[in-house]
Amino acid sequence: MEEKTLTYFESSGGFLGARSGEEEYTRVRAVRLFPFSDPDKYISIRVGSETGEELVVIRDLTELAPEQRELIEHDLELNYFMPVINKIISIKDEYGYAYFHVMTDKGEVKFTINMGGTNVSKLSETRLLITDINENRFEIRDVRELTPAEQRKLDLFL
Amino acid sequence: MILNFELTDDLRSLITLTDKEEIYYSLPIDIDERSRYTRDSFLVVSNTTIYVIMHGALKRTLAIADCSEAKSHAHVGQGLLTVNHKGVLTVLARYTHGHMGRYAYVARGINILASGRTEHVESNEYEASCPKCGRAIPGTARCPHCSGENRFVSTVKRIAKPYIPQFIGIAVLMILASVTTLVNPAIQRHLVDNVLLEEEPSKTAAFLCLGGMFLMSAGIVFVNVAKSFYSTKLGARISMDMRNSLFDKLQKAPLSYINDRRPGELLNRVVQDTRVIREFMENSFCNLFTVAFIFVCDVIFMLSINPKLALLSFIPAPFVVMLTLAFRKSIHRRFHLQWHKNDDASSNLQDVISGMRVVKSYGNEKPEAAKFLKYSNEYCRVQTRNECFWAIFNPMLSFLMGAGVFVVVYFGGRDVLLGDMTTGELIQFMTYTTLLYQYLNWMTQLPRQLTAIISSLERIDDILAFDRIPNHGEGVVKTIEGQVDFEKATFGYRSYKPVLEGIDLHVRQGEKIGIVGPSGAGKSTLINLLMGLYEADDGVLMVDGTDIRTLDRKSFHSQLGVVLQETFLFSGTILENIRFARPDATYEEVIAAARTANAHDFICRTPGGYDTYVGEKGYNLSGGERQRIAIARAVLANPSLLILDEATASLDTESEYLVQNALSKLTKGKTTFAIAHRLSTLKDCDRLIVIDGHRICEVGSHEELIAAKGLYYELLTAQLQMQRRREG
Repeated sequence: MEEKTLTYFESSGGFLGARSGEEEYTRVRAVRLFPFSDPDKYISIRVGSETGEELVVIRDLTELAPEQRELIEHDLELNYFMPVINKIISIKDEYGYAYFHVMTDKGEVKFTINMGGTNVSKLSETRLLITDINENRFEIRDVRELTPAEQRKLDLFL
Repeated sequence: MILNFELTDDLRSLITLTDKEEIYYSLPIDIDERSRYTRDSFLVVSNTTIYVIMHGALKRTLAIADCSEAKSHAHVGQGLLTVNHKGVLTVLARYTHGHMGRYAYVARGINILASGRTEHVESNEYEASCPKCGRAIPGTARCPHCSGENRFVSTVKRIAKPYIPQFIGIAVLMILASVTTLVNPAIQRHLVDNVLLEEEPSKTAAFLCLGGMFLMSAGIVFVNVAKSFYSTKLGARISMDMRNSLFDKLQKAPLSYINDRRPGELLNRVVQDTRVIREFMENSFCNLFTVAFIFVCDVIFMLSINPKLALLSFIPAPFVVMLTLAFRKSIHRRFHLQWHKNDDASSNLQDVISGMRVVKSYGNEKPEAAKFLKYSNEYCRVQTRNECFWAIFNPMLSFLMGAGVFVVVYFGGRDVLLGDMTTGELIQFMTYTTLLYQYLNWMTQLPRQLTAIISSLERIDDILAFDRIPNHGEGVVKTIEGQVDFEKATFGYRSYKPVLEGIDLHVRQGEKIGIVGPSGAGKSTLINLLMGLYEADDGVLMVDGTDIRTLDRKSFHSQLGVVLQETFLFSGTILENIRFARPDATYEEVIAAARTANAHDFICRTPGGYDTYVGEKGYNLSGGERQRIAIARAVLANPSLLILDEATASLDTESEYLVQNALSKLTKGKTTFAIAHRLSTLKDCDRLIVIDGHRICEVGSHEELIAAKGLYYELLTAQLQMQRRREG
């Protein structure tokens, strides 16, 4: 389906709906195809849920009209919560578990990770994904941007 | 799992309950409308109303009577609770992963209240962290820290208990070793002062002293040998005990425990962590008390000979200790990094070599080689740096060790020259000082070793403390006839994401049930429930009218026959593999089982016959042959209940026929559940159930379902079309 033919509207509950000609979908879901490599490009719009039929793939969100873009971004907000750590306040380790206290782009948070196993995975040489005991995931975009003190604290896992 | 969190007084005061109202559930909301973390937000559900508190203020109040279809959704990194309020879909709360399970239960609870019933929903799942102190508590109900028990101490006590006599023996040896080490310098002093420096040294006295020294030295050697021998032996025994307990616990733990973890991790616990403990026993423990004892005595002796000198020689000690500790810490970090780089390079290498076929077919040899070279170089760089560091600093540290002795020689020498001290005393003192610094050095490696052993003990204790073991041995032992009933069974590997919902099915003895459905619909999950590998979250599964959870595990499984898709044969002979079902089966029984399974003939063709060794995954046998051995295994078990997971891969016609034939012989007269793909199997079943969308959507015989023209009909015609196209 051509990108241009779909118009989006706010559906009940603040969810996303879409219309194409006579067809109306009361609930569609926006799915990021590259949530890490390129979060705002290639958004798949699917009917009902992430397992529903795909209607269209939006190549670039910035190419849409601002109000349309806002609606889709709102749906993405409801679907994805991926905090990015920008400051490490403290890391304490005790008996195989590490207790993090960090500042993220979504606010301050504390979490616990199990030190055994691959709960810290490298998305690239400088990009880390940390998974905690509740399966929440936290991203560190660039390790080099942390202060040397913070880097040293992380060293145990690098 | 806590579904009713305690609200602070401020938050509680925001809600005024009416007369008959009571709070049922209260959960934290940790993501606000702007997608940011929030702390003072809660969802409170009473029997009549839902309250949404955001940022410490009451934001919404909804009457449950106006609500329906509460649902918890699991999205990426967050979950949503929605409810249908006066016909409008509304988002009530957003939360992080840690609360997904809670909200799934509460959603169910809200639906119960909305339908007019008043039951509470409860969850038996354990918390991942202690609500009071915030520490992680894996797999146990009580937080060890808050309940006051010091896990480490109690673990050590438990492990050491059976070996107390050995520990005492080793302690005695340690004291002996200390004594012999400390007496030697005293003899030396006597030798120097009272013999060598005399006007007329007495030869006999000299020889006596030498003899004494020799005895002491020899004694030290013997005692140390004995000490090491017994410590090593004890270490091996203790680590063996631990390995056995761990393995035992892993066998008893429910399947979900093992599936939730990486196999490598569990392997490490049993192998590596126990090794750490053994090494600690061998290297450190045997010297621990000796060193401590000698150290204390050393200090006392030094103070008693010449207090001033002793204190002077102590001065460099703190600096030396600090420097050594810092050095060790740095070395540890460096070598940890080096190990990591080595790991990276090895993993990369392993990856490429296992996938060499793919690498070559895409012509990627050069880029892969370049990638490996990069990893190698990085490893080399780090290694070189570390070795240089070690080469520079280690000798410096050894030099510093001698710092104390320089001090002693200078000040002590002065004292001797002034006549305040005898030469012999100085020599004795010097020896004691050297010992002192040596032992200080030895002790600086303790912090690292202690942390390692504490971590290992904690990780081992994690597994040993896991107490959610399904009933074993206390269950009802029954001979199974084969009647199976599912009643409203619901299950999900993650409780908030059900894979099967509200399964209702009644199967008579001897009935053959075929399970069909699109991929991922839950067929294998149904089988897992039948095999008792997982327990239903909701609803009940009964065998012969008894809840499967109350049946004795061992007895149940011995009457269950299983032939799965992926035939797993253990490393062993064909005989051993077939006998896995019943180790005490006679040769006749094994051969009869193999005949029924149409396996006897090909076994005769192998060079070793029934003694042919089949490797970890049935090495050297074809797919059909392995299947038939698995069937023979099932035949030997002579089960009352059969589970079949049909292989989708097609075999050659002859093997296909043989396997089919074997299966029909196996399933004769027994209640069978088969995940079926082949038309022949499907037609053979008494009834078929079609699973789609987490539920059973169609039930009936092959003919009935074809006539009904529902999902089964569609699946079948699609399959037939594909087959026709394939056959051209």
